[in-house]
Amino acid sequence: MDAAVVAPIRYSRWLPYWAVLRTDIRQTLRSWVYRLWVVVTILAAGGFLLYRFGVHREAGIVQPSAVHTSDLIRVIALGSLALIVVLSVSAISSEKGTLADSVLSRGISRYQYFMAKWHARTLVVIATFSTMSLILLVAFHFLLADDLTFRGSMAGVMTLSAMLAAVVAIGVTVGAVANSTVVGITILWIFLYGTGILMTLLPNTFPTPEKMLSRLPNVLRGSYDLMSLSDWVAGGAIVAIVAGVFGMLVFSRKDV
Amino acid sequence: MNGSDSEHVVETGHLTKIYQNRHIALNDVSLTIEPGCVLGLLGPNGAGKTTFLRLILGLHRPTAGWVKVFGKPMTPNSAAHRRRIGYIPTNPQFPKGMTPITYLDYMGRLFGLPINIRKPRFAALIRAVDLLSHAGADIGQFSPGMTGRLAVAASLINEPELLIWDEPTHGLDIEARRSMLELIKTLAHEKSLIISSHNLSDVDEVCNHAAVLSQGQLIFQGSLQDLKGRIRKNHYELDLEGDQKAISKAVQALKGNTDIKQAMLRQRRLEILLNEENINTGILAKIFNILNENKVTLVSVRSVGQQTEQAYLDLVEKEESRGFTRLYQPAEAA
Repeated sequence: MDAAVVAPIRYSRWLPYWAVLRTDIRQTLRSWVYRLWVVVTILAAGGFLLYRFGVHREAGIVQPSAVHTSDLIRVIALGSLALIVVLSVSAISSEKGTLADSVLSRGISRYQYFMAKWHARTLVVIATFSTMSLILLVAFHFLLADDLTFRGSMAGVMTLSAMLAAVVAIGVTVGAVANSTVVGITILWIFLYGTGILMTLLPNTFPTPEKMLSRLPNVLRGSYDLMSLSDWVAGGAIVAIVAGVFGMLVFSRKDV
Repeated sequence: MNGSDSEHVVETGHLTKIYQNRHIALNDVSLTIEPGCVLGLLGPNGAGKTTFLRLILGLHRPTAGWVKVFGKPMTPNSAAHRRRIGYIPTNPQFPKGMTPITYLDYMGRLFGLPINIRKPRFAALIRAVDLLSHAGADIGQFSPGMTGRLAVAASLINEPELLIWDEPTHGLDIEARRSMLELIKTLAHEKSLIISSHNLSDVDEVCNHAAVLSQGQLIFQGSLQDLKGRIRKNHYELDLEGDQKAISKAVQALKGNTDIKQAMLRQRRLEILLNEENINTGILAKIFNILNENKVTLVSVRSVGQQTEQAYLDLVEKEESRGFTRLYQPAEAA
């Protein structure tokens, strides 16, 4: 009888990437930082919405949805930044040591590991922010004076998401390069504040995130320049990709 | 273990690791491991054992020198090489909120194993490491023994050709340690293994080769027999039974024998050091004769010098005593 021929295993090249991506999304959703972010945002938004609704309905003062929604979304985006910084920096830095050993000693390259972590955190942050923003937009649309447009709402959320994606990519990169999570968070905050200060020194014609946020009520009403918003989204994506590629290259040469 | 035309499992050349220009963890280590070798990696704390293993796995990058695994350079992105390796770190840690099933499935995915291979394999491994009844339990609540068994299963899920186990018996109870050693013996029939351990009796039991690191340098590489052969063979311990006066009388008689350098009695244990000029069998025959004449019963006899532990300690001591001459005389490795 002939010996059984053992077929060679066909390894799935991108399965390790999907495994880390899936596991990281699951673990991020279970983390206390993420839960705190969602709970605090819901409570703050709910309180603000009820207050404005009371003013609108009981006091009879007309409350334009576009203004209040943009105020709230802006506060959510900036207020969430602290927790988004923690979420993004800790993606890789919190797993250094034995936990990273148990993953990186398997059949996964550093590139795949970094990309999986980066994409997982970006997906979680953008999906959560977009979902919360869209729920708010729907609520404001029905409860306050309706001056929101669907296209404007989508454009506004997309633009802010692009900015957050850039912050997440920079955060994951800093976390991969820094020796500890605390050091990484500190570096990222210094970077964000430093960039913010430098941007105030730029000429008025130069687009800055602050100017974009101040124009948000108009964007939500649907009066916006599509090219200008496209530039914002493209700019955020380019910053995210450049930061991600840089982080990937550094991480692939680093001891874990 | 030195060169042949066959593919070396692991080969390192002048491997050096310096952390942040502050700490020299590994210094000029050149070593080869051939297929079928069960290598015991020995050394005191801080000798560079874990650094050496991490360099082999591509978790760390060498400051100087090179590492080849299965004939190809190992880098942090050598995912294909690592598919042929199974690794257990010291004190393995697992992601939170996972069960043995989800964890091993995750490990299988990390190796790129397709579902029709991954699922049956991890199911068989869970059964083999006796975690079937805990297959759905949270691994965060596992005891060190269960954690160790799960780490073994994870290191075998890709059916590796090379196993790298960093202190696999660390923290295990007697029964779990015995099972681990038996498993290593079984795996040694078909795989190459590198076992880092502080426990020299474990290495003595399961390994056929040894490499000794001291202060980041490789001071010995060769077979376990070679390591043992370096030490004195004339040191014995005898456990005796009988009348205490008769034992004392026999010891006095032994002390008068010129072939015996030293005879020391501690309660009923007699420690004997023989002169090295004569063949030990003849002297031992005389000793047994004297004991017989005094009606002393021999319970056990043990060759102290033949223990791996003694060989290892002698080696480390000798290396340290060389002082600055270490700079000019190459270590006895390779």
